Amino acid sequence: MEKSLFRFIWRFSARQQLLILFVTVLSYPVSYILLELPKLIVNDAVQGDGFPRVIFGFEFDQISYLFLLCVAFLTLVIVSNGIKLGINVYKGRLGERMLRRLRFELFQRVLRFRLPHFRKVSSGEIIPMITAEVEDVGGFIGEAFALPAYQGGLLVVQLGFIFMQDPLLGLAAISSYPVQAYIIPKLQRKVVLLSRERVKNIRIVSDKVGEAISAVPEIHANDASAWHSADVADRLYSNFKIRYEIYNRKYFIKFLNNFLNQLTPFFFYMIGGYLVIEGSLSIGALLAVIAAYKDLAGPWKELLDYYQLVADVNVKYQTVVENFDPADIYPVERLTGDERVSLDGDVVLNGVSFTGGVAGQEVFSASLHVRKATAVAVVGPDGSGRAEILQLAAGLLSPTAGRVEIAGHDLERLTESTLGREIAYVGSSVHVWTGTIRDNLYYGLRHRPMSDVERTGSAADERKRALREARETRNPTFDIQAIWEDLGAAGAASREELDELALQLLTVVGLDADIYRLGLQSRFDPSMDDRFADRILAVRRKLADRIASDPKLAGLVEMWDANAFNQSATLAENLFFAVPTDPAVTMDLMPGQPAVLAFLSRTGLNADLQAIGLKIAETMVELFANISSDSGLLGTYSFITQDDLPEFDRIVRQAKSANQKVGLSEADRERLIALAFKLIPARHRLGVLDDAMRARIIAARADFRKQVVDGNPAYTPVDPDAYLPPLHIEDNLLFGRARVDRRDARQRIDAVIRTVVEEEELREPIIFTGFGYHVGVSGSKLSAHQRRKLALVRALLKNAAVTILDDVAAGSGDDDMALRRRLMILLEGRTVLFGTPHLNVAGEFEHSVELDQGRVVRVDGVDPAAGQKDQQ
Amino acid sequence: MSLEVEVDALRKVPLFRGIDETKLRLLAFISDRMQYQTGEHLCEQGEEGDTAFIILKGEADVRVHTRDGDRSVATVREHSIVGEIAILCDVPRTATLVARTDMDVLTVTKDDFLKLLKEFPDMSLEVMRTLAQRLERTTRDLATARSGGADA
Repeated sequence: MEKSLFRFIWRFSARQQLLILFVTVLSYPVSYILLELPKLIVNDAVQGDGFPRVIFGFEFDQISYLFLLCVAFLTLVIVSNGIKLGINVYKGRLGERMLRRLRFELFQRVLRFRLPHFRKVSSGEIIPMITAEVEDVGGFIGEAFALPAYQGGLLVVQLGFIFMQDPLLGLAAISSYPVQAYIIPKLQRKVVLLSRERVKNIRIVSDKVGEAISAVPEIHANDASAWHSADVADRLYSNFKIRYEIYNRKYFIKFLNNFLNQLTPFFFYMIGGYLVIEGSLSIGALLAVIAAYKDLAGPWKELLDYYQLVADVNVKYQTVVENFDPADIYPVERLTGDERVSLDGDVVLNGVSFTGGVAGQEVFSASLHVRKATAVAVVGPDGSGRAEILQLAAGLLSPTAGRVEIAGHDLERLTESTLGREIAYVGSSVHVWTGTIRDNLYYGLRHRPMSDVERTGSAADERKRALREARETRNPTFDIQAIWEDLGAAGAASREELDELALQLLTVVGLDADIYRLGLQSRFDPSMDDRFADRILAVRRKLADRIASDPKLAGLVEMWDANAFNQSATLAENLFFAVPTDPAVTMDLMPGQPAVLAFLSRTGLNADLQAIGLKIAETMVELFANISSDSGLLGTYSFITQDDLPEFDRIVRQAKSANQKVGLSEADRERLIALAFKLIPARHRLGVLDDAMRARIIAARADFRKQVVDGNPAYTPVDPDAYLPPLHIEDNLLFGRARVDRRDARQRIDAVIRTVVEEEELREPIIFTGFGYHVGVSGSKLSAHQRRKLALVRALLKNAAVTILDDVAAGSGDDDMALRRRLMILLEGRTVLFGTPHLNVAGEFEHSVELDQGRVVRVDGVDPAAGQKDQQ
Repeated sequence: MSLEVEVDALRKVPLFRGIDETKLRLLAFISDRMQYQTGEHLCEQGEEGDTAFIILKGEADVRVHTRDGDRSVATVREHSIVGEIAILCDVPRTATLVARTDMDVLTVTKDDFLKLLKEFPDMSLEVMRTLAQRLERTTRDLATARSGGADA
């Protein structure tokens, strides 16, 4: 990478820089005439004589002459500002393009780092470098050459003028320059060093914050908050000190500049005055020189500011770039190359050594030969070099000596387009990407865009523009919106087939049941596939029939019935008989919805609900008033939390004392209604609902439907014949509620649902819906176990020639053993390197290699040094 | 049936006879109200038990495994509490309960019952007294049985 910012700018934008300079210089006469014109208007047009004037053969009297000059003035104003606008936008665009290029280059370099390099750098440091630290560079680039050239030019012209008037005065005018040229860089150098220090300090802060976030459970578990707080506070203090120092110096430089600049007039008056009195300089010339000197101050100040800016930006650039230039960085072709060679052959490590600079992560002169289509166990405890050998074989690490070859190809010379597709590697720590299960499953197939996206009209233009910009900034031109999944690599002809394949593999690793459960918990948009919605409804009907025909089951569920109150559901669900279309609007939020509020007050239900809420609150307050807060009883059983209790106590007392509910505020009433809404009669048994109230609520359903739900996209009515998109698939399957007053009703009904789903062959579609489940940040919604299996399926789906598994399903437990057996059947006929710390696991494999302290100690149970060299 | 009805029923349970009404209401509230149909099992012998059953309506057979198959040894009726041993000490269920009629039952989990006892020490005393009386009676029965056996 270019070590100097200027070299970087010049290399990639010389043409644009020259253009900016050219236009800037061109604008100078325009601004000059613009300054001169008003004088001409006043002196010549308003106060002048000798009219009419003849210009370009046209005659002008005084008024039309004035008009002509004013129109010329207006035109120049427009032209001058137009040029400014144009050049500023151009500079800004250039800066942003260069910044994009720089940032992309930095990111690409991160991808080119070798794995051991990541022991030295942390994301907390790298991220601010790519994002914040280079930001200022972008703003500077447009000015980099034009400003010094233009302002320098002005300065030279003005100085020339002064020198022509009088060389002595000229010398006086520049008398402070040598001093400034000597002192200021010295002072500035110190500022530059401080800036570097500041940048590094802030990087450490960002690293520490990042580490604290990712390790927050550890901090709390060890009561280490204070230590971390002190640590960060200390760093912030260092930052403050550095900044304070910078300010001191920066403003001192400013002070010095201003002082020296104003010292020069002192010499003018002194020397110039003396010369005038002596008679060797005319007073007119002195005044002209003083005026010229005033004009000199502008460009000089600009140049000095520019100098400070350059120093600042340059140090920022350098402190960033030096981190992205490790000596052993991969060539860029390794990432961008498209060549793919088949690695279907023997895996040969020939005298391979690797040192990561850390004991326990070393390999010493290891040789092994894995025949094509055989499975070999690589055995060794952690720290034996097992992980390193396997990563070397996967092309993830580069040997410090020796060669790793697969099918006769030296892995060092291959590009990722071969390594990443021909070798499937799953290590002991896997990463699951933020996104859906599907994204993660097919991650190993996303090498290059596989299709062109059809775009028309403005979308096509937009794409053209994006491509142009990408080429302009040496960014890749791949289309992120294209289909990237390489179906062929997985052996699928269509996306549906790919899903099927993925499901087969999920079944092999035993993740299908988990994904089925996630599918049940997913929402599904019926507009995407109404056949699936119909099938769910079919299950719903079948389930309803089965429940109706079996009295044992019937006792477990209370089905939704438009004309009956569901005792196992909340009052709100019973009343509205509709669900908010936006899943983010939970039933708790319903009392706050304007449409609901209006409906309640229109029908007068709000008074009834308040009365119910008040009764509940009274009971709660009475029951729990004497309970200590740490008993935990309130949290488990009441729908009021311990913190809310005093609040409801107040509401109850207020309601009683005022006799009527005049004393209650709007918010209090809403709280009471919200409380009433949460009531599940069969669970809470508070006896606050009588038959009349139940009837009233059922009657209100129809009104709510008519007045609020119909034609309102915000609500979806509960309808036995319609799929309800806001609810989970599970809730759509069972059109009712498991009864809360029957033992294990939920579990028992779930079993029935499972049976019916399987009978209707809906399990697969539900699993495919589960593919759309969002796994949270870095897969945080999945267990570590699930994440590993997901990563395993991702690798298997690649159909790679060589499969390398390290510490995956490598335990000696029954589960792992069964999984291993299934995996080996699946991988029959492929080359497999299976890393495990357990020697007894190796017994399951035809061949094995044992490692200890970075050395191969046994091959197939025999010491290779003792026997012949040619081993398998 | 609402809380009030349950409280009335609870008051008739000997174990809770001396406990004042608000506490019974709380006990009722934190319990789960369950229905069992004829023939349904409330609990199985040998299982880990963590709930007690307070029968509000109906009756249940108490069955134990014997060498000749399950045998009904007793019947529990309305206003009796069963399984309370399981929530005071960790022992597996000593019998299977089978609903003989349709039943309404309040179930109290071990955790909640213990929390309640901790909250209201006089309630613990009452429970202790009842259990002591029962122990005393059992001891007497045992003595009678022994001496009766000796006579025979």
